[in-house]
Amino acid sequence: MSRFGRTGQLIRLNFRRDRFRILMWIVLLAALMASVAWKFEDIYGSTSEINAIKSTLESPGIIAMFGAFSFTGKVTTAEIFANEMLLFMALIQVVMNLALSVHATRAEEDLGITELVRAHAVGTLAPLAAAASELILVNGVLGVLYSLGLSAANMPGASTEGNWLIGLGLAATGLLFGMLGLLTAQVADHSSSATGLAYTLFGVSYLARMITDVQHPKLTWWSPLGWVEKLAPYNNPHWSPIWLSLGLAAILLWLAFLANNHRDLGAGAITTRPGRDHASALLRGPASLVWRRQRNVIIAWIVAVIIFGIAYGTVFNTIGDILKTNPTMQQVFGSAMVHEANHQVLLSFTSLLSIVMAAVAIIPGMQLILKVHTDETRGWLEALYARPLSRTHLLFSYVGIAFVTSTLAFIGGLGGIVVMGDASLTHTTDGISAAEFWQGIAAQLPEIWVFLALTVLLVGCWPRVKAFSWFYLALGFISVYMGSLLKLPKWTEKITPTGWMTRVPLHDVNWTTFSWMIVLAIGLVIIGWVGYRRRDLQMS
Amino acid sequence: MTNPVLQINHLQKKFGHFQALKDITFDVRPGEVFGFIGPNGAGKSTTIRVLLGIIRASSGDATIFGQNVWSASVAIHQRLAYVPGDVYLWPNLTGGEIIDLLLKMNGTAHTAKTDDLIKQFGLDTTKKARTYSKGNRQKVALIAAFSQDADFYIFDEPTSGLDPLNERIFQDAVMALKAAGKAVLLSSHILSEVERMCDRIGIIREGQIIETGSLAEMRHLTRTMITVTLGDDFDVTSLPGVHGVEVGHAPREWQFSVEDEHLSAVMSTLAQHQVVALQSTPPTLEDLFMHYYTGKE
Repeated sequence: MSRFGRTGQLIRLNFRRDRFRILMWIVLLAALMASVAWKFEDIYGSTSEINAIKSTLESPGIIAMFGAFSFTGKVTTAEIFANEMLLFMALIQVVMNLALSVHATRAEEDLGITELVRAHAVGTLAPLAAAASELILVNGVLGVLYSLGLSAANMPGASTEGNWLIGLGLAATGLLFGMLGLLTAQVADHSSSATGLAYTLFGVSYLARMITDVQHPKLTWWSPLGWVEKLAPYNNPHWSPIWLSLGLAAILLWLAFLANNHRDLGAGAITTRPGRDHASALLRGPASLVWRRQRNVIIAWIVAVIIFGIAYGTVFNTIGDILKTNPTMQQVFGSAMVHEANHQVLLSFTSLLSIVMAAVAIIPGMQLILKVHTDETRGWLEALYARPLSRTHLLFSYVGIAFVTSTLAFIGGLGGIVVMGDASLTHTTDGISAAEFWQGIAAQLPEIWVFLALTVLLVGCWPRVKAFSWFYLALGFISVYMGSLLKLPKWTEKITPTGWMTRVPLHDVNWTTFSWMIVLAIGLVIIGWVGYRRRDLQMS
Repeated sequence: MTNPVLQINHLQKKFGHFQALKDITFDVRPGEVFGFIGPNGAGKSTTIRVLLGIIRASSGDATIFGQNVWSASVAIHQRLAYVPGDVYLWPNLTGGEIIDLLLKMNGTAHTAKTDDLIKQFGLDTTKKARTYSKGNRQKVALIAAFSQDADFYIFDEPTSGLDPLNERIFQDAVMALKAAGKAVLLSSHILSEVERMCDRIGIIREGQIIETGSLAEMRHLTRTMITVTLGDDFDVTSLPGVHGVEVGHAPREWQFSVEDEHLSAVMSTLAQHQVVALQSTPPTLEDLFMHYYTGKE
């Protein structure tokens, strides 16, 4: 029996196991790409529309978020499309790949399923090879669907080569990070640390591309996530980023096989160390248990969000200096006006960033609340509920820590932006004042709390559909983040809490909105709490 | 007689259209070990989860210490210890941390007794729970339960992953609880264990308690196996209450089973036919089990 024996059978098994997951990702992503491309001529069809958005896309703030692209000659609709969508779609594609790769390998191993499979006449490397094949197929199919969707949309300025470059380029980037996920799954000793490690590397490559894009776009070649920007599909097509991505993907896969070959099933290169003989005096109830189990994750998130904020802050001096792009402005308007304009630019940049920060800060809180249900189905709560412990006490231990985590992460992230940003400015007065900062905090916290409260409601009353909270958060983020660039109708912003508050600190906080959002959050938590007290718990 | 610790009356539980528990009625008294036996999927764990207030009964009622298991679960759990069948532990905590945490949550502390139990069961408490085998995870739950000074103990197949040595330690610990006047509900598949330790037994099948009583009482409901060698050619098939007659290996040797109510009549008839050798075997719990489960002898 070769080391890859029965890989084919395992591939079929993987697809059967993940069929809904894969189908959902493929349909959502392909539909997103195709529908945006389809509408794009309506949005940016005329030369005046293109010129207006072109200068927006060339501003450093947008470059930090969407990547640096070079425009040459007459700019077409298709070029604007590539500029707005490439990096954004790449990010979603990476998230999909990291989720699928760790799920298909380490998560299965943690559950003991790999052991069961390996006990049969199956090659030692077959489970990993099957997972890799699954990723290649999923990315490949998605890439082809993107290309076909773009060809069907037939945007002005699009070329067949460019369409295929986008599809295959995104597939290659996705595959590269999928293989990274396979490698971290071999190196770490369980699935959550594998995911954490993979996301850390993903975050580093994102930050590297952001900083280099704003300051020296040539250096972006050093970040694998930056390669997708270098495709320049409709103005100066390059295939080299695809070869680079595929090459690195192959190396990562080879390393994963190497690591898989050299380790025992169930172990990782980073081994589990023995721990304390006795519990510390602080570990004494459900809240301290949540903290003890999740503290690394919680601290890592808060630190990561702060670093993320600081990285954004470093580009303040480039963004908040209008004279760099318009050197004649000072002569025309005078320096007071220039400083005011700089301040306005920074305010609007910070307003956009605070949406990003809020979305990122919600993630760890949402994960913690969803753990109420995952821990329940894993049987971990059974031992707790045999103790004199009420449902209320347990639920609010998780929920309380979740709210505090998200709140701190958001304050830290926005704080990182503002403190680092202001420090990087030559004229500190151009920057964000303390009052504006706290306004920004007050504007986003109700949104964060409503999202978390909705998750409490789902976990308490309808845990089967808890995944809806991720979908709703993604919807909220996309509708606001991409809303103005894609000229989405106004109501799309209003379907999620992300768009309920006015953009602060660009505008002032609307305290009426603030108040009813807080009331709504409290109401959702109460309903979820009542539901949780009344329902049966599911034990494996 | 003292009040029962646990009382269950016509308990039912439906999951959607599936009726998991149809009719559960039994009680457990202080100083008694009650054996709860039945095949996989019969509803043992579901019953226990209702008792713990993890799921809510559809109808009927269950009380522990005279209090409702759903609404007063927190008060009840103050004096209750439980070991689940499948012990799931938080993977990144050590066994020692988990034992201490579970004890603290009951308002008790890690005592010399806990250390003694850790030593007896031979558990390495510095290892992360992720690395424990099924038996070691069970030990963690057992040590926490036995260190607790509760009045009612529930064990759901507690020894399925333990080696015979640890199984014996478990059995001794349960007997000590019984001697101390505690009530114990023991759900188990290991019939020899139930036979040795339990005062009374409840048998559950398809969500229904089909029999409760002491082992001695239950034996009366079944048949005794008889192997007899007679001095003459008497044909035992004509006897009343005799079943499954087989001709033995030796000449004039018979094997058959007798309903217990006809046992004395059969014996006196056999005595008239010069009994050369006679062997009677009371039904084991296993026979009882088979009897109730398959409906065969």
